[in-house]
Amino acid sequence: MKAIFKRELRSYFNAPVGYVCIAALAALYGYFYYQVMALGSSGYIRNVYGTMFSFSMIVIPIITMRSMTDDQKNKTDQALLTAPVSVTAIVTGKFLACWFVFFIASTLGLLPAVAMSFFSSPAWGEILGNYLGTLLYGGAMISIGVLISSLTVSQIIAAIGTFVVSVFLMYIDNLATAISNKTVSALVSWLSFNSRYTTFTQGIFSVSSTVFFLSVIAVFLFLTARRLESRRWN
Amino acid sequence: MVEVRNLTKRYGSKLALDHVSFTVEEGSIVGFLGPNGAGKSTTMNIITGYLSATSGEVLVSGKNTLDEPQEVKKMIGYLPELPPLYMDMTVKEYLNFMYELKKARLPREKHLSEICKLVKIENVYNRLIGNLSKGYKQRVGIAQALIGNPPVLILDEPTVGLDPKQIIEIRTLIKNLGRNHTVILSSHILSEVQAVCERIVVINNGRVVADGATDTLAHDLSKDHRLLLRAEGPEREMVHALLGLPHVVDAVSLGEKEPGVFELTVESEPDADLRRDVFALLARKGWPLLAMKNMDLTLEDLFLQLTSGDAALAHSSGETSSDEAEEAEQGGNEE
Repeated sequence: MKAIFKRELRSYFNAPVGYVCIAALAALYGYFYYQVMALGSSGYIRNVYGTMFSFSMIVIPIITMRSMTDDQKNKTDQALLTAPVSVTAIVTGKFLACWFVFFIASTLGLLPAVAMSFFSSPAWGEILGNYLGTLLYGGAMISIGVLISSLTVSQIIAAIGTFVVSVFLMYIDNLATAISNKTVSALVSWLSFNSRYTTFTQGIFSVSSTVFFLSVIAVFLFLTARRLESRRWN
Repeated sequence: MVEVRNLTKRYGSKLALDHVSFTVEEGSIVGFLGPNGAGKSTTMNIITGYLSATSGEVLVSGKNTLDEPQEVKKMIGYLPELPPLYMDMTVKEYLNFMYELKKARLPREKHLSEICKLVKIENVYNRLIGNLSKGYKQRVGIAQALIGNPPVLILDEPTVGLDPKQIIEIRTLIKNLGRNHTVILSSHILSEVQAVCERIVVINNGRVVADGATDTLAHDLSKDHRLLLRAEGPEREMVHALLGLPHVVDAVSLGEKEPGVFELTVESEPDADLRRDVFALLARKGWPLLAMKNMDLTLEDLFLQLTSGDAALAHSSGETSSDEAEEAEQGGNEE
């Protein structure tokens, strides 16, 4: 797993993909923080993360699109699948590499807040809550993206598929309010990633939400592993 | 060492492998021979655990690939048809990655440099794999298979893309590896298999059609030995006398080749050696015997007959390989 994680991570930085994703997010963080400065109130930090959250969800499909597709297309999966490692380890290694790229980008997003803290006292609870929430939501989204990339050999299809799912998950809450049937509505909001994420944005560390996101990650990694396994049987 | 039992593989409605069985002894080099699309790569992919069989099983040193996949995979070094190389890595990075991936427990630096020396890739060690020529890529693929010093090596067309000098080098390398490894290599090039392997398994349309030692395969399979001889004497009487010998099935004259000298073929019963009797007969009759040779099939004839056309398709899976070969040969003779 370690070997795969290292290789995947390196491949993000051998090609410009990793740099571009990180640079794009870091630049956007910087820009929106600049707005906060211009408006002169740290109370707008919530807006920064609100906007950045959407952008993160757009970048994630780009990070995950090549995680499984390339191996299948270049037949390098033959090296992985015939090596004495389990499919779960392969999938986990790849997932962690994607997550780590996202982690670097999100962490760089804290830099403006750190710079600000020299001159004022930003609401760190809120900032860290947002940071952690983005990481966890992003992790769940990445695990979904990895699964989608294992379903196709085309990076483009993987990216668009993941993008559609991530947009759908962002707006599923609106659906919940529109549905009149109580049980369906409750189910939809229970599944909603957003409502779990919102607790973090208020600066509250929620154990149940953390467990929820980690479970989502586990489920999708499991499904991806099964998908790899099933390819042997086609 | 490697035991393949009744492997069957279906891709949808296409039957890629049909009850393929063979065993490979420890320390031997076995050539897997067949035309393109015969099922060589599929078999190798199943042995290495990349694909799974529809039915049947593979045992490597007594361990089932399905029950103990990790253990089995540790024992196998695999070079697939297309070497599984990451184009964005240098040779060094790649080999180190494979070393970690295979969980090898050897002194890393020494082990990797030995392998590089063996397949002669030291001079490209720090270059990006994507920029290497096909021959070098192939050799990096072979290097990758050798990492961890696995007892079993499975090489799918190892010399593809190499120049003639490299081909000879790699063949020598494989031969040397065969001293302390069990090697299964596939090829559609007959001379290659003949040069390197001790045993040949011929596969066609997903079936094993022949299996035997390289030197004797052709001889063993052509069970109805025919003798080709030239003798000086009366044509009709010679044929008649030859037909009178025990174990002779048929004798035919092929006509006068030199003045007074006729060429004849004599077909014997399976497993009978007629040469002494024929000589004695002709000597007794006072007909000088000018030439005589066994008309065994060459490996090439055999391969062509086993793998081409109707003869190979017609037989049912229940028959043994030698029967099939006999049938195939007869089919060939009629043409």
